[in-house]
Amino acid sequence: MTATQTMMTEPEAMILPKGRDRRRRHNRYRFRDGKIAYWLILPAVVLLGIFVIWPAVYAAYLSFQDWSFYKDPQFVGWRNYTNVLTDPLFWAAIGRGFVFVAMTVPPMLLLAFFFSSLVVSVSRHFASVLKVSIYLPTIISSVITSIIFVLIYNYSGGLLNAFLGLFGIDPVAWIGDPSWALLAIAVPAIWLGMGLTSLIMVAAMVDIPNEYYEAAAMEGANWWQKTFFITIPQMKNIFLYLLITGFVAAIQQFELPLVMTGGGPLDSTTLPNLFIFNHFRNDINVGYSIAAALLLFVVLGTVSALVFRFVNSERLVD
Amino acid sequence: MAVAVAPAGIELAPRRRPHRGALWWVYTVGKVIAGAVFVLAALFPVAWMIIAGFKSKTEVISTPFQFFPEVWKWENYVQILADPTFTRTMLWTFLGAVLFTVLALTVNSLAAYAFARLDFRFKRTLWVLVITTMFIPGMTILLTSFIVVTRLQMLDTLAVLVIPGAASAGMIFFIRQFYLSIPSSLEEAAMLDGCGRLRIFTHLFLPLSKPPFVVMGITAFLAYWNSYVWPILTITSPEQYVVQQYLATFRSERSTELGLLMAGSVLAAAPVIILFLIFQRQIIGNIKMAGLK
Repeated sequence: MTATQTMMTEPEAMILPKGRDRRRRHNRYRFRDGKIAYWLILPAVVLLGIFVIWPAVYAAYLSFQDWSFYKDPQFVGWRNYTNVLTDPLFWAAIGRGFVFVAMTVPPMLLLAFFFSSLVVSVSRHFASVLKVSIYLPTIISSVITSIIFVLIYNYSGGLLNAFLGLFGIDPVAWIGDPSWALLAIAVPAIWLGMGLTSLIMVAAMVDIPNEYYEAAAMEGANWWQKTFFITIPQMKNIFLYLLITGFVAAIQQFELPLVMTGGGPLDSTTLPNLFIFNHFRNDINVGYSIAAALLLFVVLGTVSALVFRFVNSERLVD
Repeated sequence: MAVAVAPAGIELAPRRRPHRGALWWVYTVGKVIAGAVFVLAALFPVAWMIIAGFKSKTEVISTPFQFFPEVWKWENYVQILADPTFTRTMLWTFLGAVLFTVLALTVNSLAAYAFARLDFRFKRTLWVLVITTMFIPGMTILLTSFIVVTRLQMLDTLAVLVIPGAASAGMIFFIRQFYLSIPSSLEEAAMLDGCGRLRIFTHLFLPLSKPPFVVMGITAFLAYWNSYVWPILTITSPEQYVVQQYLATFRSERSTELGLLMAGSVLAAAPVIILFLIFQRQIIGNIKMAGLK
């Protein structure tokens, strides 16, 4: 028995440390740049940790607390969340967000599709003029855009009402009238967002192999047939991508209403993020605002993570 | 000599000019009109802003409406440039934007290099952690970030504008993608010559980094120059204002001086427009959607 035991343990005793040692040596070689690597990533990781990860964790913690700047936090369970979810004002803001998405995203996709169909069919020079022009608004700030559009919308002396007056249309209080205000904000939002959407679509359209069109032309297909049977099916992933990212961006829009209307009149332009922001500024109980922001994060963060996986799946994991 | 000539049929076929029927003309004219409408819609608001900068106080909004000013005046531009508050705000914002861009490029490219080229313990975990930060919407952490910078006593300083947003997962990801495409044989050659990792980064990767640095540098500069929400939360004293904050305050406090406001907006938009026009080829060329089919 003892003989067999030693026979069995001896080789293991000889192999194990050896194996561990080899692995350790291997790791020492594999991670030979470990120290320098940590130094290189340190600044980025520390900054992200302090200003992104910690605030996110802290937000999750505070959402379960009753807290303001003047008192110690007190655990209240899910109360902040139930307060948010039972607040008709919150749901009204979410509903408004969806209306705003419907006002901005489909028109933008449609316009961008026409735009890119145009770009791929004209000369190189004209195409680059078109691309530079359509992208220019992207770099203009929300504040300046708001200033411009508010003046254009001005009731008595603005450009838009003067223009409509030429056709005998009565002036409209574009941003003063609750039924028009959201649309009046959707227009500059489209103006700002068109550039990126269009150029992504152009890039996708240029990527469609030319042979498809040549084959179709040989069969005598016209422009509509080519568009419906080649272009649109080839671009359906791009449409999906732009639809989802457009949705995420539009429902988070809040600088434009913040500067143009402050959320009014009668809350008609209080989009979800502006609702949270105004709540944070006016309500000393931070828990409610944070819970609302986190609810939005859970939904939107998941959506954008899925999109990212879908787009970069093979690039993210190597 | 005749050997190189193409088969007779093709050689002899006359080059046909494309047939330009009535339909061709309809299409061409239609395309030009459609293109002009897009260009006009995109540029009109900016053009209107520039024109309004030449108008007197009462002309920007007036009944009956006039598109062009009665007299083209440079006064607004001269006056706003002579305003020390405005010029100081512009310079202060410019300084902040440059510092922000440099800091962001430095911090993120170092991390991007490490994640692209070096192997170290917990690399995957750290990478997932970094990437996760990309999906946290700004609004979610806006409130708690504000609490954090309050605790760190950074409020009302340049640091609060420059430091918190400098590290960015998106930028690390973008630069890393570029570094992954650099052939590792270059690096191995440098290592055989006795270069350390840092030297490889500074002497091999940095000189090659111009394309991603241009795109990301402009993105960072724009983000800083156009930022408004974070500054209005964290900056309270007027002498620390950034330019967007200055314009928004100007609009609410001096609401009658519209010509001046428009001139100020033009000047505030000018740096980013110039930057865009210089680098438009790189910016537009960067927008590609490979691997989405």
